[in-house]
Amino acid sequence: MPDAVLLLLAVAANLAGLGWLALAMDVHWEQVFGPRPASPGAVKRLRVLGVAGLAVSLALCLHVDHASMAFLVWFMTLAGSALAIAFTLSWRARWLGLLAGRLTP
Amino acid sequence: MFQNFRLTMAWLHTWFGLVLGFVLMVVFFFGSLSVFDREIDRWAIPESRFAPQPMPSFDKVLLPVFQDMKANPESIAQARSRVNGPMAESFPVVKSWSAYTTHRDPVLGLFSSYELPNAKDPEDGVFGTRTIDPRSGKSLPDDHLKIGSQFFYPLHYSLHLEWKNLGYWIVGFAALIMLVALVSGVVMHRKIFRELFTFRPKKHTQRSALDLHNLTGVVALPFHFIFAFSGLVIFGGIYFPVTHTQLEPLHEMHEKHEALETGLPHDRVGVAGPLASVDAMVAEAQRRWAAKDMAGEVGFLSVQHVGDANSYVSVYRAGTDRIALTGEGMHFKAATGELLREDPPLTPVASINTFLTGLHLQHFRHWLLRWLYVLGGLAGCACIATGFIFFVEKRKRQHARQGKGGARWVDGFAVTTVTGMLVAALAMLIGNRLLPDVMPAGWPGKGDAEKYIFWGAWVLAALHGLWRTAPVAEARMAPAWAEQCWAIAALAVTAVLLNWITTGDHLLRTLGERYWPVAGVDLFMLASAAIAIGVARKLGRRAGAPVAASTALAGERARA
Repeated sequence: MPDAVLLLLAVAANLAGLGWLALAMDVHWEQVFGPRPASPGAVKRLRVLGVAGLAVSLALCLHVDHASMAFLVWFMTLAGSALAIAFTLSWRARWLGLLAGRLTP
Repeated sequence: MFQNFRLTMAWLHTWFGLVLGFVLMVVFFFGSLSVFDREIDRWAIPESRFAPQPMPSFDKVLLPVFQDMKANPESIAQARSRVNGPMAESFPVVKSWSAYTTHRDPVLGLFSSYELPNAKDPEDGVFGTRTIDPRSGKSLPDDHLKIGSQFFYPLHYSLHLEWKNLGYWIVGFAALIMLVALVSGVVMHRKIFRELFTFRPKKHTQRSALDLHNLTGVVALPFHFIFAFSGLVIFGGIYFPVTHTQLEPLHEMHEKHEALETGLPHDRVGVAGPLASVDAMVAEAQRRWAAKDMAGEVGFLSVQHVGDANSYVSVYRAGTDRIALTGEGMHFKAATGELLREDPPLTPVASINTFLTGLHLQHFRHWLLRWLYVLGGLAGCACIATGFIFFVEKRKRQHARQGKGGARWVDGFAVTTVTGMLVAALAMLIGNRLLPDVMPAGWPGKGDAEKYIFWGAWVLAALHGLWRTAPVAEARMAPAWAEQCWAIAALAVTAVLLNWITTGDHLLRTLGERYWPVAGVDLFMLASAAIAIGVARKLGRRAGAPVAASTALAGERARA
């Protein structure tokens, strides 16, 4: 696959990863789904998914560039994704519900 | 002095952040633009709108141009105080020639230096510069300012305050305070992880501005920290000039010693010597890079002690494929083309240094990372701007009751540095499109006129900002913000239209030809215009509302 596509996927995985980690936090879960707390099991799964998303993103970055460049790209993508997730939560919180899939209450 | 550590940190963060924040705003914004400095150059100099070129043939293209180059009159004028007795009429002894390009440069910058007869410092010299089209060797007019790489970029690190390098010192101090502000900010902020994704635009202005301040500060914290730090490392030689003050004799001795060790002559021998084919030396350097599994293009080429028997040629690799800024230099004897030296592998300290330098100066080819740098820089701008807004919102009612003007003045300077800076930059680009290529006799050159427009527009924006923030003194909203947002929108659209009218390069054409440097600058300005209009309308609606309820716009203001 061309590098541009792989990097796009890396950004997507990064966004999803941070989205899952945000959903694992009570405040943000309630922003998305209203005052129905997530089950402890769901929180656990969201955390695992989140970490996995970030790991996949890093792996894709490492596949495209050599290590020092890849870490830098990953780290900066993390900053961009965090901003994107925060703004989504502020203005279009429901959209993050898509990430929850079958974990939806 | 304070009850506890956290309050001490809060005091430090507030006051140092406020004062140096105005400087940091300039540094962050023009740093962000500098990521695409070469692309802004393309926009500003339409003759240079073609694809990036590799280093051309030295023997065929560069040599005749170098031989034709002379010391710049400004360089000679500046050297007048550095000579004993009268200034020489000509500068026949060429110290060095050099050429520098990157993977984003269609045109090539050339540099020459000449011995300065009767100089107080025997190593002193005068300089010549030229920009050529590497495809033909044709020179571009000298007074065409490369607005991106010769104005916005130096503004980022020197503020264009050249007197006694004052700008470097101010920027360096601001970078140091940036590090302090980051650490003290982390200490003050109790819920870094719990509130990582928190931004509540519907709360009152003070709260939402603080949310955005924390958000942009925390998510880009490593970026801000590393950039402030690596910036200090890059200019370490200026901040600790030991090699040219206390340790000058040692430095000189070290240079001579190094010359012995490397076999690269430190001085001319005084006997004329020939120059063999430099193209052959370049080919040999490229063969040796390829053998090290580092095949690459030439980034920097120089000839030292031109015309002397001791002359040598250095060939450095362009660092497009790595972060560390290393040249893998190959040095050849000019007369014979024999290899004198190949730069050895770096020591660990030098590796860290080149990594930090390269990380900051970004010679690499990676468009995603470039855009992420811009995002990081603009996040920094948003962080500083929301810091100002928080400062004003927190104090303006109290100041209004007490009849103090503090909040109002801070708001005025915030308008000047946030929106005023954009007004100035856009006015400069408009001036660039409207001024004739050759200015009438008696007028400053085009490049100088563009600089005057920049500073003039900024002064006007500052006066407007200080005047139209008066209502803050009565705890009301300043109309200056919305008004300057409208100005930004109008100027940005005008600049894009003028680019079309004066060069014929409208967006449909540049996008169709995928000429991203110019299309990108146009699109960036249009996006700024769109954001500025959105912000101005929201601010207008809020000004109409009875009480200033909240603002979600602080960050957008910064980004507009």
